[in-house]
Amino acid sequence: MNQTIRSSRAMMIRGLLTIRRLPSAFFPSLAMPVFTMIAFAGTYFAITKIPGFPTDRSVNWFLPLGISFGSAFSGIGMGFSTIRDIETGFYDRLRMSPTSRLSLITGPLFTAWIRSLMLCAFVIPFGVALGARFTGGLLGILALVVASLGISTISLGWGLGLAYRFRDMRGAAVMQLTMFIVLYLSTAQMPLPLLQGWLHAVARVNPVTNILRLAREGLVNTTSPDYLSWNNTWGGLLAIVIMATLTLIFAGRGLRTLDK
Amino acid sequence: MSVLAMSDHTEVTPHSFGLAVRQTVAMAKRSTLEIFRQPALVAPSMIFPIFFAALGASSFGKTTDLPGFPKVDSFLQFSIAATVVQGVLFGSVTGAAALATDIQNGFFDRLLLSPTTRTGILIGRLAGSAIFGALQAAFFIAVLWPFGGTIESGFIGIAIMVVSGGIVALAIGALMSSVAIRTGSAEAVQGAFPLLFVLLFFSSAFFPRETMTGAYRKIADFNPISHLVEGMRELVLSGYTTSALMKAILIPTAVCIASILFAQTELRRRLAAK
Repeated sequence: MNQTIRSSRAMMIRGLLTIRRLPSAFFPSLAMPVFTMIAFAGTYFAITKIPGFPTDRSVNWFLPLGISFGSAFSGIGMGFSTIRDIETGFYDRLRMSPTSRLSLITGPLFTAWIRSLMLCAFVIPFGVALGARFTGGLLGILALVVASLGISTISLGWGLGLAYRFRDMRGAAVMQLTMFIVLYLSTAQMPLPLLQGWLHAVARVNPVTNILRLAREGLVNTTSPDYLSWNNTWGGLLAIVIMATLTLIFAGRGLRTLDK
Repeated sequence: MSVLAMSDHTEVTPHSFGLAVRQTVAMAKRSTLEIFRQPALVAPSMIFPIFFAALGASSFGKTTDLPGFPKVDSFLQFSIAATVVQGVLFGSVTGAAALATDIQNGFFDRLLLSPTTRTGILIGRLAGSAIFGALQAAFFIAVLWPFGGTIESGFIGIAIMVVSGGIVALAIGALMSSVAIRTGSAEAVQGAFPLLFVLLFFSSAFFPRETMTGAYRKIADFNPISHLVEGMRELVLSGYTTSALMKAILIPTAVCIASILFAQTELRRRLAAK
């Protein structure tokens, strides 16, 4: 167990050093959430005037979306790094080293969490400067950070699983595309009661809708039914636990496939 | 150096003009075929705009009653113009990336060493993008039509939008080709792609300008993409008008002339450096 923790820590440090050595790979994951937040909040400024919209500030609605996208890509980014390591042969050396297989997944997972926290630390103040207000106070920020960590865990499991199976950059496109689509087919842009047609049906069963509700519960109006409460929290937590478990199992099985 | 310089100063005769046209057509044919031979490269620029149109129609269906929103049958009808411009903008990067690949793998140098018109190399490459852009516009209009994406200006409006799609592709393709010629790197061309994304988002492509406020509204007011999309949107929502024609054709034409001149300057600079 100690060895697993030590190896995970070493893998995590290696992942974090990549940020310093290859900032061009990390910068987009910071810039993209800020761009998403500004662009969406500016373009769709007027949607807050629709009766039943849960907040009167568009930036409140789109700040969690930006962070969710960024967190998803922080997890997927570890999938990209793994593909690069597999292609260069470095991953074979890691697999041959006398260490726990688990650390090959937990190490990148810790890196993805730290990247996700860095993202929150950067984007939340930016959002506040643009006018975002946490109606739920510190608990609201906590809910957003938990959702962000959850999304990065899910995307990491998915990214690693695909990296182990594809073993080349074709996997990177599949990772991005699938995460992008799953996030969009939810309440990414509008609240569930205001969605129409096929998207309403899809978003209702998409677990990401619950995670976004958790992320946004501290930013909506206090009079909104989606405001900070246990009822708006447990669904998101459950969705994170189930999806993270499934994607991490997917990654673990992929690693065994790689060993064979 | 002398060969390259000589071909730039060759006297143009009717015979050499005809030859230059034939060479340009041959290169246009090559670049067009290249696009269709790599469906995986162009598929995203065909699929994603349709996906976003479908997503927007279901997401923002209830926004059409907002103050400042133009009179529309559906949000899908409102988003046709944005779908066309979005697809064409993204698709036009493919041609420039292919040009950069030609530079990277040495094919561009072989073209330069052959007795070929220099302008033809550039125009031939861009013609492929323009043809693809026009086809994209026609494709988006045809796909969205059965779902309520009717064009009030009828056939003439569709024709203008298709032509506009071709000119936009030519303009953006030329701009991106400047990057390709300057850097000789397909990665640099792909790296410039997010700028198009920013340009598109900071415009009235996805939502009416009348509903925007503050600095965002001011940026959208200055952004030529806003006026281009609004020209096409006028054709979709209100029928044919001279102002719609002007916006849909003249704006991309002006950008096109400027960007082709810029690309040619870059090409001359590259030749001079050889």
